[in-house]
Amino acid sequence: MSAIVVDKLTKRFGGLAAVDSVSFEVPEGQLVAVLGPNGAGKTTTLEMLEGFLAPTSGTARVLGVDPHRGDRRWRARIGLVLQSTSLDAELTVRDTLAVFAGLYPTPRPVGEVLELVDLVDDAEARVGTLSGGQRRRVDVAIGIIGCPEILFLDEPTTGLDPEARRRAWTAVENLNTTGTTVVLTTHYIDEADHLANRLVLLAAGRIVADTTPERLRAEGGPSTIRCRFADGAPLGDLPATLAGHLDRHDHSLVVRAEDITAPLRDLLGWADRHHLDLAGLEVGPPSLEDAYLAAIGEPLATDGTLP
Amino acid sequence: MTDTTRATSARMPSIGRLLAAQVSYQARLLASGRAITIGVGLPVILLIASHGQDTHTDATVIAGYAAFGLTLTAWNTYGVRLVAAREAGVLKRWRATPLPHSCYFLGRILATVVVAVAAGAATVAAGVLLYGLHLTVSGALVALVAFVLGAFAWAAAATALTAVIPTLEAAAPTLMLTYFPVIIISGIFGAISEPHWLSTIASYLPAQPLVHALAISLGHTAGHALLSARDLLVLAAWALAGLAAAIATFRWEPHRPTQQRPAQTSRRQ
Repeated sequence: MSAIVVDKLTKRFGGLAAVDSVSFEVPEGQLVAVLGPNGAGKTTTLEMLEGFLAPTSGTARVLGVDPHRGDRRWRARIGLVLQSTSLDAELTVRDTLAVFAGLYPTPRPVGEVLELVDLVDDAEARVGTLSGGQRRRVDVAIGIIGCPEILFLDEPTTGLDPEARRRAWTAVENLNTTGTTVVLTTHYIDEADHLANRLVLLAAGRIVADTTPERLRAEGGPSTIRCRFADGAPLGDLPATLAGHLDRHDHSLVVRAEDITAPLRDLLGWADRHHLDLAGLEVGPPSLEDAYLAAIGEPLATDGTLP
Repeated sequence: MTDTTRATSARMPSIGRLLAAQVSYQARLLASGRAITIGVGLPVILLIASHGQDTHTDATVIAGYAAFGLTLTAWNTYGVRLVAAREAGVLKRWRATPLPHSCYFLGRILATVVVAVAAGAATVAAGVLLYGLHLTVSGALVALVAFVLGAFAWAAAATALTAVIPTLEAAAPTLMLTYFPVIIISGIFGAISEPHWLSTIASYLPAQPLVHALAISLGHTAGHALLSARDLLVLAAWALAGLAAAIATFRWEPHRPTQQRPAQTSRRQ
């Protein structure tokens, strides 16, 4: 059964289509990342699924219910971590979680939630004294304390330092392994790559790709050789196969090819003949970032892409 | 049994339980903040400063300072805290939970009523202990009714007003500007000479009826009037109208726009 079914969902603000005929389904237990640049419509899509915004047209069903008509019983089955919210500063983390736990029919024990989000050591600290990363994890703790079937996370790690991001990721992964469906928005490609088994790419309110990290990477085009040469390198003697890829202005070479074996062999042979040290040489697979940028720049003919 | 099936088959907490928990939570927040001390402390300090060596003070004076403490708490302290919570995103966080929206802001209002009544009671206690105020049991009970109605009226009206206050910086000036003229013309610090039409207006605002109702009940002696039904009715009308306006205009989202799109005004579900 699908946890979420979205069909031609559209939201207009005046003349602007913030979300433009978006359709997708999320099966139970999946961890989906909705990825896109600022203004792509990620938050607006999420707010319609959370019941805070009525769509201009189209339909959404979350756990079989129209979110805009969801009652508190329905809301108790979903967990939300919104962008830029905040918490009362006066109480301790433990007391705050206990208060929120009281809103649900079958809350997770506070101690279990503290462990899930790695806040056991901060349980007796007042919320107002916590760092940004710790507060974000309290936010996640509140999102999951009601044992939600679906957790919506809107840019859960924006503004966190790398260690805090890793901890937040672990919390989300822990939750997903317990069977919770997770939908998160992010503009961090590495976050989506690390966490999600499915990527929905939004640009200008439309889905431009509905894929997996592996498939997106595979569509990222050819592998790449990059090298910046020192001044005085005998660039005039570069093999013809490489010379056409040389930027003579800044002495750098960028070769993109499906098979980089031949140009790499030519480059190494040329360097060997001239006893050059290729200290700046980079050889890389197609990057997810390149594939992402290509996808949001123009619609891709990706498997599963929705027009 | 999985977590999911447990969640769907279990009973939701009752509205009464949720409201009681919310009142208790909000009262804890109020009690742990320093802002509340002004409503309790300032009227007592002003009373002592202006009547230091007196051994007896008229019930009308005590009623005025008690109403001052109560309204400071239920209007200014409450209003500023509500705008601060909204602009910081605290209200948005609560809206994302299954707590019925009415429980949230009724919880805030009722917790404020409890603390505002305590602020008023502190001044009355000072009047009894220091200035020979003779409080009868029936007078105290009627005063309590006036306190509760008055605090609810001011807090509900403040809730409605906060919908048009765009920033935290604008909160204190807007609340003060709508507060001091009303309490001055209502004679909270003593009767002032004013045109008849102004006292007529004041008699329909929530301060003057509060002071008047308190003065009668606090000064009650055998053979004299105990309550002023007209004053209590005005306060009750303000409480109901304020609540209706608050429900119609309550904002959950901060005013500052998010991602260049219109901020949403949300009503309770």
